Amino acid sequence: MLLEVRDLQVEFRTRDGVAKAVNGVSYGVDAGETLAVLGESGSGKSVTAQAVMGILDMPPGRITGGEILFRGKDVLKLKEEERRRIRGAGMAMIFQDALSALNPVLSVGDQLGEMFVVHRGMSKKAARAKAIELMERVRIPGAAQRVGDYPHQFSGGMRQRIMIAMALALEPALIIADEPTTALDVTVQAQVMDLLADLQREYHMGLILITHDLGVVADVADRIAVMYAGKIVESAPVRDIYKAPAHPYTRGLLDSIPRLDQKGQELYAIKGLPPNLMNIPPGCAFHPRCPMAQDVCRTDVPPLYEVSEDRGSACHFWRECLHG
Amino acid sequence: MSERPYDPERAIAPTGAGGAMDLAASEAETLEKTPGGPEGTGPAGKPRSLWSDAWRDLRRNPVFLISALVILFLVFISLWPSAIASGSPLKCDLSKAQEGSQPGAPFGYDGQGCNVYTRTVYGARTSVTVGVCATLGVAVLGSALGSLAGFFGGTSDSFLSRVTDIFFAIPVVLGGLVLLSVVTSNTVWPVIGFMVLLGWPQIARIARGSVITAKQNDYVQAARALGASNSRILVRHIAPNAVAPVIVVATIALGTFITLEATLSYLGVGLKPPNVSWGIDISAASPYIRNAPHALLWPSGALALTVLAFIMLGDAVRDALDPKLR
Repeated sequence: MLLEVRDLQVEFRTRDGVAKAVNGVSYGVDAGETLAVLGESGSGKSVTAQAVMGILDMPPGRITGGEILFRGKDVLKLKEEERRRIRGAGMAMIFQDALSALNPVLSVGDQLGEMFVVHRGMSKKAARAKAIELMERVRIPGAAQRVGDYPHQFSGGMRQRIMIAMALALEPALIIADEPTTALDVTVQAQVMDLLADLQREYHMGLILITHDLGVVADVADRIAVMYAGKIVESAPVRDIYKAPAHPYTRGLLDSIPRLDQKGQELYAIKGLPPNLMNIPPGCAFHPRCPMAQDVCRTDVPPLYEVSEDRGSACHFWRECLHG
Repeated sequence: MSERPYDPERAIAPTGAGGAMDLAASEAETLEKTPGGPEGTGPAGKPRSLWSDAWRDLRRNPVFLISALVILFLVFISLWPSAIASGSPLKCDLSKAQEGSQPGAPFGYDGQGCNVYTRTVYGARTSVTVGVCATLGVAVLGSALGSLAGFFGGTSDSFLSRVTDIFFAIPVVLGGLVLLSVVTSNTVWPVIGFMVLLGWPQIARIARGSVITAKQNDYVQAARALGASNSRILVRHIAPNAVAPVIVVATIALGTFITLEATLSYLGVGLKPPNVSWGIDISAASPYIRNAPHALLWPSGALALTVLAFIMLGDAVRDALDPKLR
């Protein structure tokens, strides 16, 4: 396993109380594999990623338990300086909004080149040449002419390509993409996603794709982990999930995708709201919104049941869900 | 600011280049919309930095050129006042007191019969030295302490904030009377030191605030996620994005320092006469404003022009450091 997260727990201490953002998340990703982490806003998917990268704001954030094994070593036990060296070179992150994730006062060439100056100790001139090479690799037309341009002079899709180029610069073994296409319009989304998938194959990287868009996931992911209230509720290979979800929450998500044959009908929506993280419901956190909930769901926290060899579901009634 | 001719060839070039095949129409279109493209990119791929780009922009900004010329002229007469004014500023002839403009004394004579032109030229050295040194000192000390406090937060931040509160509570004039009255040296340095001592908290507070704002930007987290160290984040990513308000306040403060020197001299705790400064002259001439307004007008005018030049310079530099305004 390239990256293995084991029983990770993260909480935020605020004036109003403790928000339990991540409550025992475990997932893993291999080299060359794409894991999609799916969930609503506030499900803890981004916080988990920030904890893995080591860029969680602490305080108010706090990792209260669990392990994050990168190439078999627990990065939570490393010194800050050692962790910093892993960031960028070993694992890198692509952010959602490239306009705000790129420094407005530095040219893109400077920002790309910085990776080589910081980690490889290259001269400015060599770093500039590398920056052009990277821009060509992410298919930015006229890279050599545009290397001195500033982020605001690029279109949204081009900026996201630059963000991808920055993450790829040192050929890290793992890339975490936090909603990389959410800020883009649909045609550009597809191009950026394709590019990311191509580059991942080329470099044989592990990719964690954080998203709330099931459409994006279907084409590129190998596995899906569905998160709810800071827990993984279902984890399965991508085709299994689309064929038959084993958790009512996953089913709800799938049913909320607009489909062509549903024209004119009202779109399905999961009723209710995501839980308040300061006050997560007892038992199964999803029970107040679950159409299949029984008494046991209100009292007993469901473990991650083994549905098949490489599939798990945290639902007491996963069988009914799978076959219903 | 300065005019940016639209260069169609540059803006379209990218779409014509090879490797654009996978571009959907929508994206090709947005590319073309890139406003004007950057000016004078020069040879393709030539390394440029924030400062060299800013300099490229400044060179063709008339506001910058005019203010820079005025400042260069001030520096010149501060170094070599005798080049444009003959005679000594200390040679005064009471019989000529309050006389108006005449050959050899274009600005007339003041209440003591001193040549106003000569004194104004010689006063530049003191006033510019006080203004520039006090501003630099305040800006360096204030922004260093302020940005460290803002960046690291926590205890160091609380400590610094309380210290600035204490300094804010000291009234400037009273503080000057107390602190400077014990100084015997009649040079500009104790005055500058006093100004830095009381002036840095203002800049520190502004630097702290803008560093805290800049720190919350996504690109700071992105830089951290790509392995940048604290010092690199502070210097490369936060400082250039937080410097604008500091520049503005510092350039305005420069004028305040020159006038503060005048105030302190007027109270007798700043510079004392054999020194020549605009502040001394302004305070000496103000009682005679009805009889000899010229004696007040010229040093005040010089002071106003200096302050204006520095404020304009600060404004131009601030704009040049923001690529979005280019």
